[in-house]
Formats: sequence, C-alpha cells, structure tokens
Amino acid sequence: MSQRDLVAELRAAHVEAPPEVRERVRLVAAGAPAPPRRITWRRALVVVVPVAAALAATIVFTRPAKQQQTVLEANKPARIQPSAGAATDRAAKAFAVPSPTNRVQKYEATLSLRVEHARDVSDGVKRALRIATSFGGYSSSVHAETHGSRAVADLTLRIPRTRIQEAMAKLAQLGTITDENVSTVDQTALLNNTDRKIARLQKQLAKLRAEPKSDGNDRSIAALVKRIETLQRGEATTRRNAHYATVHLHLETPPVTVAQKHGHGPLHGVGVALTWLGIGAVYALAIGVPVAVLLGIVWLCVRIVRRRRENALLQI
Amino acid sequence: MTFQQAAEAHLDDVYGYLAWFTSDRFAAEDLTAVTFERALRLWHRFDPDRGSVRTWLCQVARTVALDHFRSERRRTRREELAAPPEAIDFRFAEGLSPDLESALARLTAGEREVVALRVLLDLDAGAAARILGISPTNCTTRLNRALKKLEEALHVAA
Repeated sequence: MSQRDLVAELRAAHVEAPPEVRERVRLVAAGAPAPPRRITWRRALVVVVPVAAALAATIVFTRPAKQQQTVLEANKPARIQPSAGAATDRAAKAFAVPSPTNRVQKYEATLSLRVEHARDVSDGVKRALRIATSFGGYSSSVHAETHGSRAVADLTLRIPRTRIQEAMAKLAQLGTITDENVSTVDQTALLNNTDRKIARLQKQLAKLRAEPKSDGNDRSIAALVKRIETLQRGEATTRRNAHYATVHLHLETPPVTVAQKHGHGPLHGVGVALTWLGIGAVYALAIGVPVAVLLGIVWLCVRIVRRRRENALLQI
Repeated sequence: MTFQQAAEAHLDDVYGYLAWFTSDRFAAEDLTAVTFERALRLWHRFDPDRGSVRTWLCQVARTVALDHFRSERRRTRREELAAPPEAIDFRFAEGLSPDLESALARLTAGEREVVALRVLLDLDAGAAARILGISPTNCTTRLNRALKKLEEALHVAA
C-alpha cells in the first residue's frame, strides 16, 4: 500500500462520538452563558470618540471667555475705558474724599497714568488742559518730553474744589492709573483764629482812635492798621487758594523692556528634554537589555525542558 | 458563534482527535467531556482572529490529554509493580482494515496525534503546528515519519 492509499484510507475513516458523550457535552454546553460582547477597536472608537468630543466640548464651552485676558492682565492695573460708565464710577470712587463746600480746605491730588504710545502722552496733555478749562480751572505748569517711543508729561492743574471729583474722574480716563494720592487739609480753624485776631486788633484800633491825638498814638494806630491789613490779605490768599484744588498729573509710556538674552533658543527646553530622555534610554538599555536577555534564556530553558518532558510523555 | 454551536459542530472532531491520541475509547469519552467543560470556562478567551474554533478546541483537548497522560504515567508506575497493565481492545475508526488498525496501535501517542490532526481532522500544517506548539515544517516532518512508520508496519503485515 502506497502512502497516498494509506492517507486515503485514513481519511475515509469516520470517527463519531458515542451518544452518551454527545449528551454529556450537550449538558455542559447548555450551561453556557450568552456570549460576551467583544471590545474591538471599532466598538471602542464608537464609545471613545463621542466621549472625547463631549469632554472637549465641555472644556471649551465651560471655560470663562475672559480667563486668558484676566491672566495676562493680572499684574497690570485696571485700565479705565473712556466710554465705560463703570470706569467713571471707579475713578470717582477712587477719589471720593469728602470736600464740604462750607469749609475751607486745601486739596491736593497726585495722579500717575500710563498710556500705550508716545502720541497718547501728547493727546493726554491736550485733553487734560481742556478738562481743566471746562471745569473753570487752569494749568499752572506743563512739562512734557519725548525720547523715541518713550514720553513723559507732568502737569499741575488748578481746578475749582467744588468740581474736583468730576475732574478727577475725567482725568483718570486718560490712561491706566499707576499711582494716585489725595490729601486735604482743613483751614477753617486757622481762618477763624485769624478772624478773631483781626477783630481784637480792630477793637484796639477803635480804642486808640478814641484817645486824644499824640505822636505815639498815631504810630500805634498806623502799626495796628498795617498788621490788620496783612492779616486780611493772608486770609484772602488762603481762601483764594482753597477755592482751587491742585492736581499733579503725570503721564508716561511704559518703560521699554529689553528682552534679556540667556543664550538659549526657543527650542532649548526641547533639547534639554531630549537629552534627559536619551540619558534615560541609555540607562534603560544598559539595565533592560541584560535583564531581557536573561529572561529570554530562562524562558527558552523552561520551554526546552517542557518540550522534552512532553516528548517523553508522548513516546507511549 | 455560540459555545453550544461550537460544541455541536466540533464534538466529533475533538472526540476523534482524543481517541486517536490516547488510543483509549473510555479515556477519550471522559476527556472529551472534560475538554468541553474546560473550554466553556475559557470560552471568553477565545479570539476568532487568532484561529478557528476547531483549532482552539483541539488546543484545549491537547492540554487535557497531556494532563491525562501525566496522571496515567504516575498511576501506571505505582500499579505496574502490583500487576501488569491490561491490553485494551480499541478500534480507531469504522472502516479501517485490521492491518491498519494494528499499525496505528504501534505508533506512539505523538505520532498518532499528528496523524489525527493532519489526516483525520484534515488540518493544514499551520493549524496543526499551532496546536502542537511546533513549527509547520517540524509538523510535516513528524507526519512523514509517522506515515512512513505506518507504511512499513503495513508492509511487514502484508
């Protein structure tokens, strides 16, 4: 019999499991649970993609719109927008120092503003002068200078004290407030003292005039009159000065910051990271390769031993 | 494919493989049942992308049969001291000539296994090699040796 005939006869043989084995297996298979759903990469994608999209959408839509701007301007003082009513309120609130009109007070304010460009300094000076004039005030001094993109201006404005708060609110809109200072000194008591002193002197003067004339009497009268006039002039000057508030306005562009060079390019961090990754990889290779080789050898030995035992077992 | 369908479709294959492998009808019947019990427990691990159900069931059956051989060897070692093992009258399949039956009986378990897989179950070299845990070339070599041995046995019988 040739090998081909042998194979043909073997293939023609039919082996069928006995009915009792069939029944046993049927009983075993009857207890099989429903087939579990396999997680293929397509099914995983069907779940993962919508979940990722939903997460991304949640992050994008729930993030505050002005968060980035807030972070960027966290270190900057708040800029007061010219058209914003809230800005006016803020400026008014910032200088809300009570200045009663029935009292005589010396009012001084210092306001430092930062503007973006040198031309804004020039415009700011013009607008500040217009503001002072519009409130019935005037400028007592103006000093402005420009060096390239850097510009500075210092103004001293005299504005009626009754309208100082409105004027300050308007001036604050010229730029970003970097510094502000307000001081008031009440001079009513001083003027009252002067008034009492003048009244006393006038009584003395009336008494002297009632006395008979003499050279000494005339000299005393002349001295008293001169002193009373001096006191009255001083009082008038004080009242006139108190009528106007003094505002020192300082406008300037931001200082030009020169970028400091560290000798590193923009990809320096990437280079450092790659260097450390390389070092890590070398260490991993130095340790991992011998371990992997050792594990491979052990695995091969186990496999060979198992194969030999199996072959010995099958030599029955 | 459900486990029930797989069991129904490949019961004869598994039984035939185990019967030829063990050359013991009673052992094959028990091992077939054990194979399907174990396969049921491991059914969640079956991956159709890595091979057919028949190949996977034969792999499970082989593991079960090897366990059986190990336990039999231990048992035989103990018992043959008291009494020699009895020869079991076993027929490999219906329709085989007596000479071929006796020639098959002379083969070792390893040789019968490869003949069962490649000839009886008609598996290709790759699938049979995967069950045996060897390379397809090695599987073919084993089959040729087994067939040559069968041929020689038949020649001697003739």
